[in-house]
Amino acid sequence: MKGLGADKPYWDSLLEGKVRLQQCAKCSKWNWPAVYRCGDCGSWDHTWTEIETKGKIYSWTRCWYDFGVPKEYVAPFVSVVVELNNAAKTRLLGTLNQGDAEVHIGDPVEGHIEFCTFDNEKIPALRWTRTTAQEKSS
Amino acid sequence: MSISKFCGGVAAAGVGLCQYKRGQAPMPEQGVLIKAITEACEDAGFNPADIDGFVSYGDDNNEPVRLMPDLGTKELRLNSQVWGGGGGGIAAAFGIAAAAIGSGQADAVVVFRALVQDNSGRMSAAVMRHHLNDHIISAGILAPAQICALRAQRMFEYYGVPQSVTEELVKASYYHGSRNPDAMSYGKELDLDAYRNGRWISEPFRLFDCSRENDGAGAILLVSAERAKDLRKPPVHLLGVANGAQKGWGDLLENDIHYASAGFQPIAKRLWQQTGLSPKDVDVVQLYENFSAQGIASLIDHGFCNYENVTDVIKFENLIAPCGNLPVNTSGGNFAQGFIHGFGTAVESVRVLRGESANPVPNAKVCLLAGGPGAPTVSSALFGSSSL
Repeated sequence: MKGLGADKPYWDSLLEGKVRLQQCAKCSKWNWPAVYRCGDCGSWDHTWTEIETKGKIYSWTRCWYDFGVPKEYVAPFVSVVVELNNAAKTRLLGTLNQGDAEVHIGDPVEGHIEFCTFDNEKIPALRWTRTTAQEKSS
Repeated sequence: MSISKFCGGVAAAGVGLCQYKRGQAPMPEQGVLIKAITEACEDAGFNPADIDGFVSYGDDNNEPVRLMPDLGTKELRLNSQVWGGGGGGIAAAFGIAAAAIGSGQADAVVVFRALVQDNSGRMSAAVMRHHLNDHIISAGILAPAQICALRAQRMFEYYGVPQSVTEELVKASYYHGSRNPDAMSYGKELDLDAYRNGRWISEPFRLFDCSRENDGAGAILLVSAERAKDLRKPPVHLLGVANGAQKGWGDLLENDIHYASAGFQPIAKRLWQQTGLSPKDVDVVQLYENFSAQGIASLIDHGFCNYENVTDVIKFENLIAPCGNLPVNTSGGNFAQGFIHGFGTAVESVRVLRGESANPVPNAKVCLLAGGPGAPTVSSALFGSSSL
């Protein structure tokens, strides 16, 4: 996986169908992006904890222009930043599986793992679904 | 107003800017850059062979040692580049140049940026290469417009900044650009209907919320303030530079704490502390606006307004020279003058303080160069006129 290095376990777990995030074994801080060394306490020991992929839309953009994105995303499609309900509200990226939906910050979403294709390579991706589509909150 | 001498006193002595339509530069990138540097030297009345330092930013491809044969460089003493993608390093480049001059590592330093599409590819793609990883690719994000759109959406929808302020900013840029013979938009004011109904790029951005992309190169020659006195043009002093990022901001996969900001809050604070100046001392702003909302966020971060009074401050009539309280982008800026990774805003910082702007600001003494907003590291600089 072409991740960032310290996040290899994240990509490995996506291939197993699970989302795991990094937590410092000493001070319990959720570090994201993943780190080799916890910048807060100096520990090099980390655990990778499976998290529930539920959260709220923190921000979103509907893209209408073809910037050469993975072929699975056909414009207009929506990219989202999702604030998780747990894991110290870590934000994860992904796409919404409803490209034409009326989207609002605060909409509750649930994510699952799909694959997208970039440079002829399959990359696991988080695909999010709004769980209460009609609700408008912020 | 008493200003302490930044790095012992350093001044911009010459500027050069060669700009063409995207894909239409008459020479490859290095040739265009040599032309811009020699223009800057001509402007200053300075022998290009005496330049001994070079600083760039944004992953420029033109290694200074390769410029030596064309410039006749006698000795290369400083070749450096600011880390970081986007235009975040533009003002920081002046800080490196000043530090080198102030510490005696170099005497005459050129800050430059060159981009020609045939050599470095589409600018947006060249910028984005720096930032790509599987996290954002798998979210369908391949362009700076999309990242900036995510942050803009948060500013508008969550913090309630009215989207109408972007129109005021874009209109002001085009007002100035339409009056600047060197601007891509010369003679053309913003067509409001085209702005409001332009095609979507990435919501909330439509076409005219996005900066242009141009081929070209820009160069600014810096020397000690003492030496600048003997050169052709009135020196423009570098008053201060701040660069960087604070904990909670950076390359964080969209986990930045002040997500809807442009990242300048700690940088601006440091710039004001360093110079003893404040937003009220600024006569004119050259604002790097890659996208309309990021220009607004940058003005907010620098303390010119806040989420509550943004509509009172960012008004067209307030933003235009000569009578506005806060003239912004007097050359037309990245929207209307042209976009060579923001270098036009640096050049205009010098020109407006010399009284050479196409849209002069009478008695302007202090100009803020607010660098590329929203980048993981950002930078800003203050310039002062010779009469300060």
